[in-house]
Amino acid sequence: MTQALRTLPATRAKDTRPKLRIFEFKSDIPASWRLTLGVAVWVLFFAIWQIAAWSGVMPAILLPGPGKVLTALYTLFAENGFLGDVLVSVWRVMFSFALACAVAVPLGILMGAFKSVEAFFSPFVSAWRYLPAPSFIPLLLMWFGAGDAQKLALLFIGVIWFLITLIADHTKAVPKDLINTSVTLGGSRWQVLRTVVVPAALPNIVIAMRQMLAVSWTYLVIAEITAADAGIGAMMMRAKRFLHVDQIMAGILVIGLLGLIFDYLLRALHRRAFQYLDEYS
Amino acid sequence: MQSSTILSVQNVCKTFPTRGGGVEALRDVSFSVARNELCVLLGPSGCGKSTLLNIVAGLHTPTSGTLSLEGRPIHGPARERGMVFQSYTSFPWLTVLENVEYGMKLNGIPKAERRERALHYIDLVHLTKFRDAYPKTLSGGMKQRVAIARTLANAPEILLMDEPYGALDAETRWHMQEMLLDIMRTTQTTILLVTHDIQEAIFLADRIVFLSAHPGRLKTILELDFKKGKEIRSKEDLVELEGYPECEREIMQLMRGEAKQEEDA
Repeated sequence: MTQALRTLPATRAKDTRPKLRIFEFKSDIPASWRLTLGVAVWVLFFAIWQIAAWSGVMPAILLPGPGKVLTALYTLFAENGFLGDVLVSVWRVMFSFALACAVAVPLGILMGAFKSVEAFFSPFVSAWRYLPAPSFIPLLLMWFGAGDAQKLALLFIGVIWFLITLIADHTKAVPKDLINTSVTLGGSRWQVLRTVVVPAALPNIVIAMRQMLAVSWTYLVIAEITAADAGIGAMMMRAKRFLHVDQIMAGILVIGLLGLIFDYLLRALHRRAFQYLDEYS
Repeated sequence: MQSSTILSVQNVCKTFPTRGGGVEALRDVSFSVARNELCVLLGPSGCGKSTLLNIVAGLHTPTSGTLSLEGRPIHGPARERGMVFQSYTSFPWLTVLENVEYGMKLNGIPKAERRERALHYIDLVHLTKFRDAYPKTLSGGMKQRVAIARTLANAPEILLMDEPYGALDAETRWHMQEMLLDIMRTTQTTILLVTHDIQEAIFLADRIVFLSAHPGRLKTILELDFKKGKEIRSKEDLVELEGYPECEREIMQLMRGEAKQEEDA
């Protein structure tokens, strides 16, 4: 030690353990709390529903309690062949969404990667994005009739433009330095696209798909309510004719549940496929 | 000196087009880098040192002037001029080993040779224990070591580094600087490095190309004679060296002179 420096004895810091607080900005909460809170909101919802049904603010036929709806749901599956309707709906969503992705993923990536492709497609895509998909229903009905083709077309139109825009934006957000790294290592245009741009954008592209799949469900119900002989929406319209409010609510419940399941599956897929991401450490 | 020149930069000007007619970033800059030399581009912010490095990399094109590597004119980016960036550029979806193999894979090096060379350079940057780890588990310094190994394994003729340690904390930066000197000693590499850190420049450089700002011009080229023939392995070695304080003071005054001109202007 030189003369210029003087050392002081170290002092011990007091033990101050942080207190666990419920309301803390952006700080994590224990997993058990998360589960409890997540269940609690549903318990609360069903309780309010049940109370409202009991209170008689609306006639029982218009507002059945949760119990009646669950019974109706069971009957639908057990006696009315509702599973077939559900499968038809799921197939419609999956097939149209796969078609939309098959177009939107390559196009969005190219638009995000190359300004020239973006300049060509962007004015077109943006215009279509502002047209509400349901406004095409009359046209689609005349072109394709009330069959599957009309539903698939509506679902396709409903998500494709947003999907393209989101994917293009995520591709644009790939850090320039990652691209330049590949370029200065000798990467050709195609190699950079394949080995850097696509893998770097992919996790966010899957997130965009998850978000747009939810929108796809919305359009499915719209399509099936307007004209259909099968599907969850069709069942609900049949139930309306016979004032089966419990069945309508059961249908809503199933749509919600299916949305939840798909969301969970895509989330799980994301976690599994992109384990290398920081957020999963 | 002339015979061992590997990189030659002559009368390079760069003006970025803007609505108001353009911003002049570089004016008539000329210098050269000798083989196995570590040349540092130093200067105050706004002197265009990063722009100049990007031009050497081929990521920007000069408005006028010529550049050549081993006598061949430089057009666009290429394998022979590998670059390490300030931001962390390890590909997060590849392991350390895959990252280091990446450049060689692009260039069609056979798998066995690729693996062998990657392992050699991973060892050189002391990451052997982490060869199968993904970048998310690595510290900032380790990620930069991956980037250095990846670029070196690709066998560039010159290694370009753009403030490679700018984002690291002070202690990590020392280690990285010392490691870079070690690598220089063992691999016979030529390096052109941009920094604004005076101590880093003196510690690493054989020669400092000092630029002044607005627009970027060549101010002076400093030969660090006081380091010649001395064995410098650590920051302490440098600080104890005769002539070091004078050298640091001189460069500080250059920097300040620049800052003063800015204020007066």
